[in-house]
Amino acid sequence: MPTVAITGLRTFVGQRLAERLRGEGEPEGFRVVGLDLRRPHRLEGRVRFQRVDLTDPAVPLRIAEILEKEGVEVVVHCAFRTFPTADVEADHELETIGTLHLLDACAAARIPRLVVASSTQVYGARPDQPAFLEEDHPLRGHPEAHQVRNLVEVEHILDAWQARHPDTAVTVLRRCWTVGPTVDEPITRYFARPVVPVVLGFDPRVQLIHEADCLRAFERAVREPHAGVFNVVGRGAVPLGVLLRRAGRRPLPIPGPLLRRFGELPARVSAGDPPDAFFDYLRYPFVADGSRAAAAFGEPVYTTQEAFASFVGSRRMRRYR
Amino acid sequence: MADGSGSGARARRSPGAGRRRSAGAGGSAAASGGAEDAVREALAGLRQEILARFPAAREGAPRRDLMELFEELRVRLGTLGMREWSGEIDDFGLDLDALETARPAFDFLLDRWWRAGLLHASRVPEAGPALVVANRSGLLPWDGLMLAHALERLCPAAGRPRFLVADWLMALPFVHPAVVRYGGVRACPENTSRLLRAGARVIAFPEGQRGAAKVFRERYRLRRFGRGGVVRVALRAGVPLLPVGVVGAEEVHPVLFKITGPARSLGLPFLPVTPTFPWLGPFGALPLPSRWVIAFGEPLDLDGLSAEDAEDDLLVSRLTLELRRRIARLVDEGLKARSGVFA
Repeated sequence: MPTVAITGLRTFVGQRLAERLRGEGEPEGFRVVGLDLRRPHRLEGRVRFQRVDLTDPAVPLRIAEILEKEGVEVVVHCAFRTFPTADVEADHELETIGTLHLLDACAAARIPRLVVASSTQVYGARPDQPAFLEEDHPLRGHPEAHQVRNLVEVEHILDAWQARHPDTAVTVLRRCWTVGPTVDEPITRYFARPVVPVVLGFDPRVQLIHEADCLRAFERAVREPHAGVFNVVGRGAVPLGVLLRRAGRRPLPIPGPLLRRFGELPARVSAGDPPDAFFDYLRYPFVADGSRAAAAFGEPVYTTQEAFASFVGSRRMRRYR
Repeated sequence: MADGSGSGARARRSPGAGRRRSAGAGGSAAASGGAEDAVREALAGLRQEILARFPAAREGAPRRDLMELFEELRVRLGTLGMREWSGEIDDFGLDLDALETARPAFDFLLDRWWRAGLLHASRVPEAGPALVVANRSGLLPWDGLMLAHALERLCPAAGRPRFLVADWLMALPFVHPAVVRYGGVRACPENTSRLLRAGARVIAFPEGQRGAAKVFRERYRLRRFGRGGVVRVALRAGVPLLPVGVVGAEEVHPVLFKITGPARSLGLPFLPVTPTFPWLGPFGALPLPSRWVIAFGEPLDLDGLSAEDAEDDLLVSRLTLELRRRIARLVDEGLKARSGVFA
C-alpha cells in the first residue's frame, strides 16, 4: 500500500484527508503517517502518528528519518494555522520556517511528490484585480495579514525549491474559504455571528467551496500525480448581502475608516492583524478561476449557494422572521 | 412615468442612488416584485381581519419601540441605495433585475435629459461580439453607461454591452457596486478578453485617465490612445473593432481645473472644480443637460488578420492610429451635427 505523510494532522484538511485516504480496509487505501504536535482523538489507532515540532531546528533530520523508514511516497503539507494567532512571530516560525524544515527533509528523503495546502488569499484583494484570478496571477497578498504574508513567502520558497529539485512533483492547491456542516474557520465564525459587520457601500461577490468538494480535490491530488498550481474553489460566486440574508444574519455596515479605527484593538488581540486584513477580502473583488482545478480534479459538486445553504442548514442559523 | 416624476424628483438627489429611486418611485411595474406584493397584500388582509374580529387586539397592540425603529433605520441607512438590487448577478456583476428597474431612468437620461442623437446607426452589426472603441470624456462613466444603453436599444440581439471603467472607481464605496451592477467592468485585458470570448460586446476607452482628466478648454481633443492594448485584445479574440465618437459628455461636468492635493486621500485621481461643484455641494455633481450626439463609424477592416498579428507591433500601432483618426473624424462630425451645446 502506498504511504502518505500528512503534516498538520490536526487541521481540518489534514484530519479529514487522513480519514479518507485511510479508507475502511479497502484495497485503494493508503497507509497514513501523521505528523503533528498531538494526535487528534478521532484518528487514534487509525494512523501511524509521529510527534514532531516543525519549529525545532533539529526536525529536518528527524522527519527525513521518518519519511525514509515508512517509505513515504506523497507528503501533504497542511501545517498552517487555521486561526492566525496574535503571536505573529510564532506563526511565522511555524508556517515559513516550518515549511523550510519540511522541504529540507523532503529533499533528503527524495520524496517523489509533495502536495501543499495554500489559500487563494495569496492573490490579495484589491480594487485593481481582474474579475477572475488565474493561477499565474502575481501573488500580491495583503501587507497587513501575517498569515497571508507567510503563505506568499511559502509559495516563493516552493518555487525556488522546486527549481533546485526537479525530481519532486509539487502540487499547490489554493483553496478559497471553505464552509460546510463541520468545518470551523474564520469565515464560518464570521457568518455565525448574530450581527455581522460589513464594510459600508460594498457588496462583493463571495466565493465559497463546500468542505466535501475541497476534500475531494485534495484526495485526487494525492491519488493521482498532478504537478502545478490549482485554484480549488466552488462554482460561482454570490454577493455578500445575499449570503447574509440567506443566513438570517443582521449585517452591520460600518464605514471603512471607522472599521479600521475601532476594530483595531479587537482584531489585533484575536488575530494579530488590523481589521483590514480580513475585511478587504469582503470588500474588493476576490474571485479565483477554478477551471484548471475542475479539469484536473473534476467539477465541484456544490455551487457557492449550495455550499452556504448546507452550512446554514446544519447550524440551524436561519430563524423565521 | 414620463417627465413629471422624473425631472421633479431629479432636482433632489445626487447621481447614482438617485437614478434607482426615481425608477422605483416612477411606478415601474417591475415583475420582480409581483410575488412579494401579493404576499404582502395577503398579510395585510389577514391583519385587518384579525383586528376586526378581535377588537381587544387593537388596544393591546405594542407600541413601536426604540429597537424596532433603530432596526429599520439601520436597514435603510446600511443598504443606502442598494436595496433594489436583486442579488442575481452574473460573473462580472451585471444585475439584470436592477437594470430592468433602472431602465426607465436610463431611457429618460438618454432621450430627454441628454437628447442623444445617433448618427449612422446602421453601421453597427446586428449581433455578435465586438469591441466598441470610443473617446473618453468626464470623470464619471456617463458616456459608457449611455453608450451601452444606446447600443442595447439598437441591437437587442447582442445583449447588454459592458463598459470598461478605471481602477480608482473600483475602490469607492457605493459607486463601485452601482457601476458594476449596471454593466461596468474594471478595465484590464484579462477581463476584456474573457468577456469577448463569452460573446459579449465591450466598450473600451483607450484614452483612459488621460481622456477623463481633460479640462474644459481641451475638450474633444483626443489624447494618446494607449499602447495598442485595445487592438491587441481585438485581434487575439477575433472580434471586429467599432469606432464611436461621443459628443456631449464633456459638457456634463465641465471641469475648469483640477485639484490633486486632497483628492488622493479620498481615493480619487483628482478633485474636479466645475462651475457647480464643489460650490453647490453634492447637487453640484448633477449632470448638466447638454446635447449629445453619438456617431458610429464603420467597423475597422481586420480581414485577413489573425491572433498572431497581435505580436506585430508596427501593425498594431498603425491600426491604433487609424482608430484614433476615425474617432476624431466622428467626433468632429458629431460636433457639427449639433446646433448648440445645450440645445
